[in-house]
Amino acid sequence: MSISTTVQRSKELKELVFDIIKHADAALSSARIGKLSVAGRKDLETPNFFSLSSRGAVPHLTPDVISAHTQFGGVYMALEDFIERAGNATPPIMNCPGPFPLHTFAALPPSLITLLAPRRTPAVTAAVGNSNNAISIFTSNGFQTLSNKAYINYAEKLHPDIAVALADIPHGSVPGTKRVTKMADRTQGWLTELLSGRKEGKPAIFAPILSIDFLDQSEYINELADEFADDIDGLAFYDSNLLPDIPETTALSRLPKLSLDEPSSPRHILRQISLGMDLFTIPFVGFATDAGIALDFQFPRPSQEEGIVSKGTGSAPLPLGIDMWSTSHSTSLTPLSIGCPCYACRSHHRAFIQHLLSAKEMLGWALIQIHNYTTMSTFFHSIRESIRNKTFESDCEEFARAYESELPEKSGQGPRVRGYNFKSEGPVEQKKNKAPWLPLGGDDQVAQSVVPSDELAGKLEEMGVTEQADQ
Amino acid sequence: MASATSTPTPIPMLKPMPSALTFELIARCSTTKARAANLTLPHGPVQLPLFMPVATQASLKGLTPHQLEATGCRLCLNNTYHLGLKPGQEVLKAVGGAHKLQGWKHNILTDSGGFQMVSLLKLANITEEGVRFLSPHDGTPMLLTPEHSIDLQNTIGSDIIMQLDDVVITTSPDAARMREAMHRSIRWLDRCITAHANPTTQNLFCIIQGGLDLEMRAECCKEMVARDTPGIAIGGLSGGEAKDDYCRVVNTCTGLLPEMKPRYVMGIGYPEDLVVSVALGADMFDCVWPTRTARFGNAITAHGLLNIRHARYANDFGPVEEGCGCMCCRKKEDGGLGITKAFVHHLASKETVGAHLLTIHNVWYQLALMTSMREAIIEDRFPAFIKKFFDDYHGADKTKYPDWAIKALKMTQIRFENTSIRTPKRYQNSNPARKTLPIAYCHDHMIEEA
Ligand SMILES: [Zn+2]
Ligand SMILES: [Zn+2]
Repeated sequence: MSISTTVQRSKELKELVFDIIKHADAALSSARIGKLSVAGRKDLETPNFFSLSSRGAVPHLTPDVISAHTQFGGVYMALEDFIERAGNATPPIMNCPGPFPLHTFAALPPSLITLLAPRRTPAVTAAVGNSNNAISIFTSNGFQTLSNKAYINYAEKLHPDIAVALADIPHGSVPGTKRVTKMADRTQGWLTELLSGRKEGKPAIFAPILSIDFLDQSEYINELADEFADDIDGLAFYDSNLLPDIPETTALSRLPKLSLDEPSSPRHILRQISLGMDLFTIPFVGFATDAGIALDFQFPRPSQEEGIVSKGTGSAPLPLGIDMWSTSHSTSLTPLSIGCPCYACRSHHRAFIQHLLSAKEMLGWALIQIHNYTTMSTFFHSIRESIRNKTFESDCEEFARAYESELPEKSGQGPRVRGYNFKSEGPVEQKKNKAPWLPLGGDDQVAQSVVPSDELAGKLEEMGVTEQADQ
Repeated sequence: MASATSTPTPIPMLKPMPSALTFELIARCSTTKARAANLTLPHGPVQLPLFMPVATQASLKGLTPHQLEATGCRLCLNNTYHLGLKPGQEVLKAVGGAHKLQGWKHNILTDSGGFQMVSLLKLANITEEGVRFLSPHDGTPMLLTPEHSIDLQNTIGSDIIMQLDDVVITTSPDAARMREAMHRSIRWLDRCITAHANPTTQNLFCIIQGGLDLEMRAECCKEMVARDTPGIAIGGLSGGEAKDDYCRVVNTCTGLLPEMKPRYVMGIGYPEDLVVSVALGADMFDCVWPTRTARFGNAITAHGLLNIRHARYANDFGPVEEGCGCMCCRKKEDGGLGITKAFVHHLASKETVGAHLLTIHNVWYQLALMTSMREAIIEDRFPAFIKKFFDDYHGADKTKYPDWAIKALKMTQIRFENTSIRTPKRYQNSNPARKTLPIAYCHDHMIEEA
């Protein structure tokens, strides 16, 4: 807990400061409580998470809703979401005025920390591999290459609070042995270039840890410990299994550690925290929201009330979420989670949210998103309490007994509007709802004097009236 | 069906109809027929003239009730047809009505559901009993009677409910059918009045029918006014008729309606239509267009419609509309979000947040337009307001003023200098999509999408 004077001195030059406040019982766990401070932003106690954005927006949530109804402390932004025009012109975001173009462009509340990375998480598998000086990215206009030079330029101009350095990661495919040897070398070269060109320590830089065996990147990681540790501001893990392999030097240990490892459940988050992870990006929040699943768990155990009221007794583990598509909620006046302090739970009930999903009203996903983010904020708050109380390891065991290990399967459909980023992956809904009924008439005039629009066509198609390809 | 055609409808001996509203006339324009009034409804007061955004299925296109409230909205519309399908009457009963369902503390107006059935379901068939149609769920034959409609709206608990009416498209050449529909609407009004279970907490509005035939409209006004409902709607319009005809019908009806009752013209929402209709003496309007067009990337502004998806906005770091007071357009220093056209452009058709932001702006624009009309009426400078409005809307190019508006305003004694009336055809050809869209496009809450 004592901070060395050298660290103290270097802090004055840095935009980002990370203080480690408390460690869990060291014999059992590497979990720790920290505080991430960025000038001009709200301090963030860790362990904590950044919400994911899509094209600069947190899906379903306008910035006023973020301010009023969420507690997350930062937003992850993918550069590939902003530079689809880079081939022909300067991407508009690069023309955005003000000292913090990324923030200003996305109209983010000033209290939020911005984290810029080259690619979305999860990222769409690239069609072509990376090269010695560039990676392949996926924009709304398709695949492009992003050179390290360009990335450095973007990171400097856009002025995020934190930038994750470019990493040679073959998203989605397993690298061959020849490739593996290059990955660490390239990443190290790119990091060197980034750090040497950086002015006044802005932005803060997180060095990537690759999703390959430690031995295949040991040289790079040792270099991080020996040469880069004072210049970088954090580590970004594409594979959290590398955590125990990181040399426990003072300089590396003091750095905040960010997970880009796509945890699939709260249990994975807990495991990573016990290995020493401080910060997370959590794709399953958005997946759950789009699937109409309201997250429903508390750490380390469900509240008394909830355990009794809605979960029954017995020792069967509880589901981690509630499928809000189920018509069993259609007249339920209870909130998504009993005792949840979120706007959706205070102002609305399951019957409304079930109705909104079933009617495909966008507000349904917005309300579930608010709830799911609040659930995560409460979860992390409880985790920090648990670490403070030195009960983290036993609490994790209790959580594992109380809840199922993975989120429930989705049953309903996602929101109508899907990002381009979903195209190349994942279970995308195949076809819009099959019409429950068909008109018997022959002519295709549906409503007089109405210009058919693509949106209207969607509605009509849904009602079985006509078939028209999406625009 | 034709047998009932010209049966004169006797005015029944009705007990005086209770009302759950108070209507207070605040000001009258000394030139036009425009009025400003306060309307107090069961869930609070609203100020007329008024635009009502359409929350078809108990939500306004991604906005939380909180956000809708922040636009200044205190009366929004829900569609009975849609709520009857989803969540359905049983759920509405169990939940305790539409206010409780959607967590909306303010007023709700519902339509009768009949119009949407006729529009959406081409197999709908109208008889004296009601509207016959096939269930969208399972295809079984169903019947919507005036009694069903009122019962459903009583369950919904909306502050203003609408009678079931027999709607024939105004451009229909079948005068006999039109007359039948007008008389049937009167008969159905009587059945609605009889069926209405909550007259002290819900206000039933009649709907004047009669197509474009002014005499038929006059007859309908006389009959329906005699029924003494708390408010009166002018129906059947915005179905593709020429705007000249539309204006004549509104002008005729408002001339025959009692001064001390609210007048609601259904399905109207283009800014120019709103301004002219207010000048013609109408008070209340609804339309899905502002929220629908937002989802196509269109921002409504005092200077016309902007399609933010256009490449010219990609690097425009100004607000959606300079000087707009909405949450999106206000600068961060002024407590707003500081949303730029560039950001909306960046999100358009890719993230729903972009549509939500434009929806907030567009609803704000519509409500602010009504508020500024009200202020102008109260200060008796409405004619000047109208001139400035058309000036702004058409970039001060008087040759672009729509003829129908010039003609309609002439009916109200307003003349624009240096404008001449051209043929409607020329007007249509010489103007881009915005102005040539038939009013009908506006009335498509009948085809409201999810
Ligand atoms: Zn909640
Ligand atoms: Zn605005």
